[in-house]
Amino acid sequence: MVNENAQLYTIEGISASILMLVTTFLVISSSSIVTPQETHITDMQLEQLGHDALLVLNTPLENGTSSILYQCIRDDPPSHPGLNAAFNANFTQLLNTRIFSGNDTLHFKVQLYYRDQSSGEIKPPIDFTSDGVGYFRENAVKVTQWVKMGSDVSDSDLQDKIILVEALIWRS
Amino acid sequence: MAKLNEDGQWIVMMGFIISIIIFILAIIVAESALVGKTTSESVLEFPKTDIQDLRSLIFQLKSNDWDDIVNQNYKEDIQVLFFDRKNAIVSYHNDSRVLYIHYNNGITSYNEMHEEQY
Repeated sequence: MVNENAQLYTIEGISASILMLVTTFLVISSSSIVTPQETHITDMQLEQLGHDALLVLNTPLENGTSSILYQCIRDDPPSHPGLNAAFNANFTQLLNTRIFSGNDTLHFKVQLYYRDQSSGEIKPPIDFTSDGVGYFRENAVKVTQWVKMGSDVSDSDLQDKIILVEALIWRS
Repeated sequence: MAKLNEDGQWIVMMGFIISIIIFILAIIVAESALVGKTTSESVLEFPKTDIQDLRSLIFQLKSNDWDDIVNQNYKEDIQVLFFDRKNAIVSYHNDSRVLYIHYNNGITSYNEMHEEQY
């Protein structure tokens, strides 16, 4: 003899179990992509720090003199060894100095872009300086400065041109 | 029909209310992460420093008594480098003492008319 009491509870139990099964199926079958939300914030801070550092170097210390960046490009030998020591030291100090002990771990690679005025094309970039650490697809930002070169440059390719100084900066 | 127990309805209602509150709070928390992302994205996207650097360069050229502004070599240097390396179209020219600067990178456009006061 089957007891016919509490049929409402039975129906409730069955519908609840179906609901739970459907929910689990939906959760398991849906693919979720997790993107880190805060990478843009660190990129933004890195870009502003790098632009400030490069701008400081592109600002003359006194009226009528030329900036550190200009002097470094002017005195860079045309053989382009890819390591301008004076600029490297200044840029490293501006980027990596902390208030207290120890240094930050920002790395950079700086290249110069200029246009060949006879052909009108952009020449392959000059490796200006880097801190010797390879770039292996870390999160990097690019900051730039413009420099108007005079006729006193040791590299005749850069004479009387407006060149673009491009620095790739990343943290590792 | 089974007789349902009607005791404890207050407790059930409070459970409902609290679960709804937790749901709304979860939505707010999820939104706040998005807000930080979109804000920093728009800061990265807006070419503030590009425009500032272009202005400063052009005003540096202008300091040499308009000679460098009309220098076609300098202008092509700036235009080609901006087009190739910064993905933007720029232009500038002067009409006697008035200097015009134009910048457009497809998203942001900037136009300026600067009149020199002697």
